[in-house]
Amino acid sequence: MKPRNIGIIGVGQTEYTTKRDDATLTEIAREATVLALEDGKIEIKDIDAVVFSLALDSLEGMESGEKWCAGAVGGYRKPFIRVHTGGTTGGSAVHAGFFHIASGLFDCILVVGAEKMGETPDAQNVLNRIFDPIYERTVAINAVNMCSFQAVRHMKKYGTSEYQMALVAVRSRKNALKNPYAHIRGEITVEDVLNSRMICYPIKLYDCCPRSTGGCAIVMASERFIRKLNKKNVAWIKGIAGCTNSYFIGDRMDGSGINDYADAEGLFLAAKGAYQMAEIKNPGKEIDFAEIYAPFTSTELAAVEALGFCERGESGIYNEKGIFNMDGRIPINPSGGVLTANPISVTALVRVAESTIQLMERAGERQVKRARTAVATGEGGSLQFYTVTVLSNRI
Amino acid sequence: MERELIFIPQAWNIKFNHAAGEVGSAFFRAIIDRKEILGRRCPVCKRVLLPPRSYCERCFVQTDEWVKVGTEGTIQAFTIVYGRFKGLPDPPYAIAYVLLNGASTSMVNFVKGVDLEDLNEALKKIKIGSRVKVVFKRKREGRITDFWYELLKETS
Amino acid sequence: MRLCKQERGFLLLNVAIIGIGQTTYGEKKKQSIDEMVFEATKKALDDAGLQREEIESVVTAASDEIDGRAISNMLTAGSSGAYLKDEVKVSDGGIYGLILGYLRVASGVFENSLIVSWTKSSETSPDLVSKWAFEPLYTRVLGLNYISSVAIEASAYMGKADVKDEDAARVVLKNRGNALKNPLSHISHRPSREEIMSSRFVSYPIREIYIPPKSDGACALVIASRKRAKSLNRDCAWIRGIGWSVEEYYAGDRELFNLSSLRRSSQMAYKMAKVKNPLIEIDIAELSDVTPYHEMMIYEALGFCRDGEGKSLIRNKITELGGELPVNPSGGILSSNPIFASSLVRVAEAALQVTGRAGKRQVKNAGLALAHGFTGIFSQGSSVVILGS
Repeated sequence: MKPRNIGIIGVGQTEYTTKRDDATLTEIAREATVLALEDGKIEIKDIDAVVFSLALDSLEGMESGEKWCAGAVGGYRKPFIRVHTGGTTGGSAVHAGFFHIASGLFDCILVVGAEKMGETPDAQNVLNRIFDPIYERTVAINAVNMCSFQAVRHMKKYGTSEYQMALVAVRSRKNALKNPYAHIRGEITVEDVLNSRMICYPIKLYDCCPRSTGGCAIVMASERFIRKLNKKNVAWIKGIAGCTNSYFIGDRMDGSGINDYADAEGLFLAAKGAYQMAEIKNPGKEIDFAEIYAPFTSTELAAVEALGFCERGESGIYNEKGIFNMDGRIPINPSGGVLTANPISVTALVRVAESTIQLMERAGERQVKRARTAVATGEGGSLQFYTVTVLSNRI
Repeated sequence: MERELIFIPQAWNIKFNHAAGEVGSAFFRAIIDRKEILGRRCPVCKRVLLPPRSYCERCFVQTDEWVKVGTEGTIQAFTIVYGRFKGLPDPPYAIAYVLLNGASTSMVNFVKGVDLEDLNEALKKIKIGSRVKVVFKRKREGRITDFWYELLKETS
Repeated sequence: MRLCKQERGFLLLNVAIIGIGQTTYGEKKKQSIDEMVFEATKKALDDAGLQREEIESVVTAASDEIDGRAISNMLTAGSSGAYLKDEVKVSDGGIYGLILGYLRVASGVFENSLIVSWTKSSETSPDLVSKWAFEPLYTRVLGLNYISSVAIEASAYMGKADVKDEDAARVVLKNRGNALKNPLSHISHRPSREEIMSSRFVSYPIREIYIPPKSDGACALVIASRKRAKSLNRDCAWIRGIGWSVEEYYAGDRELFNLSSLRRSSQMAYKMAKVKNPLIEIDIAELSDVTPYHEMMIYEALGFCRDGEGKSLIRNKITELGGELPVNPSGGILSSNPIFASSLVRVAEAALQVTGRAGKRQVKNAGLALAHGFTGIFSQGSSVVILGS
């Protein structure tokens, strides 16, 4: 069923950095909140309810850190809820905000979160603890090598090369140069990527995302509310869907080729649902650009295929042809993407925020030329959880 | 300003004692007592699940049958870790998902017995499709690390 | 579509609970977490008469820390029925799962949703975990945990409302007595008054016997849109009102006997359900009696009586099983406490009551029921769900 029309009217982002010694988690969340409210020219009293985007407690060193932040983000005496689906959290939070309004109970919602994983040196140790303590954890799987398994299967299945992966890193870094919020800047070459230190074969240092600290917020509202304020510059949410896949990675390597770990099947199904709601038939033609949650170069290759921008196995060639570059047919990650900033709790929210900025044509140097319809994704767990959000500047 | 900032050091130390459950316990018992790998068969889709699960998430029914799977199988995905991660073993080490003969799903474990110092040499041996065998530890204690994979002679 | 036509304005009779699944509560050494979750989910689906394939949405609610898994819904995705479904998790009590599930179905995007919550307390120390809910700068090192925080609230309330230890004992006798009629209950023992009065103080004024047990267990609900629920042609528990709210984090910023977040969330739910006089209109309530003192505090915050009169309701047996407004016929959290699932159990029990399926603990003519949950330390957040037959 097609729900109420809902749009994004304000966006706030802090800069993403390795550490923020000058501010607590609550203060970072507040910075993003204030920026989003100012951007949307909304006062906190206009906000009916708050959705807090916070991923792993164990990365923040606090149980239910959202409670600590509730006051700082204006949740005081409002309906306030937190979602946590790992890396997907920001996408799940946007969807939760969407449902708040679509239910008819609320008109204006703040979706906000912050990440301060810079305070622990043990991030990958924590990320090992997403795996099953009985069957998998002691076999040393973590958030890097779980993606290596996907990469080697993609290479075997489609002949994808490390060179093609490197092209993704080079493009992301180049795009990030024009994004004032990006964490990692500095141009690199394909040779730099290929010669960078091997972390978990075939993933090398420059195929990896950083660990970032920072906050992000958006203000979402019903069409009725937006019309009342007479707002013209709006990113409308046209379609949303999520999909959860099997926990055990080995379940997706059963020799059948169905739901194969090489392919982002969960993303494919989520995209199918979101496109259906948005009435998009041919994503390769109808989508103008995408902000994709891909913490590793190889993850993006599977993602663009799942999103229908090319056939399965063609992403490497498309990258060679420059189709996903800023001047290509479908610019991917004009912000520089997750490879240049990964504040896990809000990374998927940043994808929506950056899409919004593009659709409002306020992206400055990183502006996509023809930005009318965008897709923003979230990915979490063992390449297990996916969210897809389709946005447009036309209602 | 830097000098005046205060930092509060903290470390989480929360202990757990995770129940493997009856099905999980039987799986580990078979490893300890008989050096056997047991999967659970779904009565509907007939998949043999490893790790053994007492239910099938797709058909949403209880699994009710133990199936002894082979101790040889094929690598479906792998990595060789050269980065050092806190709390994880010293690199380099190899991990692989292996589809054991008779199982429907792949199970992850270390691949041992391959010299990993030279990546390109190691990649000649550890690759998707390589045949491996399960090697059991002498003293088994009901942990997934009671066994690991080693390459079968013909492919190495 | 109905929402566009109606725009604001609260929606009534929109979403119903059509299936309920609970495990028993207690220590479960024979089951892993996901097996426990599967049991509750399967029961809820069977109760609703639905196959997993027919489910469109799943909302889970659990604790990473108590599960000992950095993203707790990864493992349980499969056992909560979420394989290739649109699933989301709230890191909060199960009643928040119901709230998000309600919003998802009320939006018209989904026709139904599973709501699944669990805790396996026996695998770790929930008390130790609760220490980490205190922020690291000003409060964590002060010997505070969940129990000391509720003790501080209880003592503030004792001073304000002149509540006696004996009143707390009455609440325990009532709830533990009710639990004898609940086959799912973790504790099936109604202590004597002497036993209560000789129980040691763990954190004054909280005696050991005033602290809920730590149970293993899972609870699952299936909710559906009006259209779907009607087509089932059977009694459903309709969600008539829903409210949730949060207060300041630092407990020193507010009155601790007030439960102000609960006052605000009940106002929201009452407005939606058009409840004017809760004591008269509500027939049964399942409340989060995290201590017996809290049960009396909750009476006041919910407007069952005037402020300071919570003790009168318990002294006058108003909230006993045969009273005017029975509270916690299930035995409450004082009898079974699968921590994160406890608030969803309140909803499940309320739903069983309004559909006349509560067995020996059934309240007569239960037309309107209220379920309540807390979240955070010092009762920072609260939520209220009102169900009608």
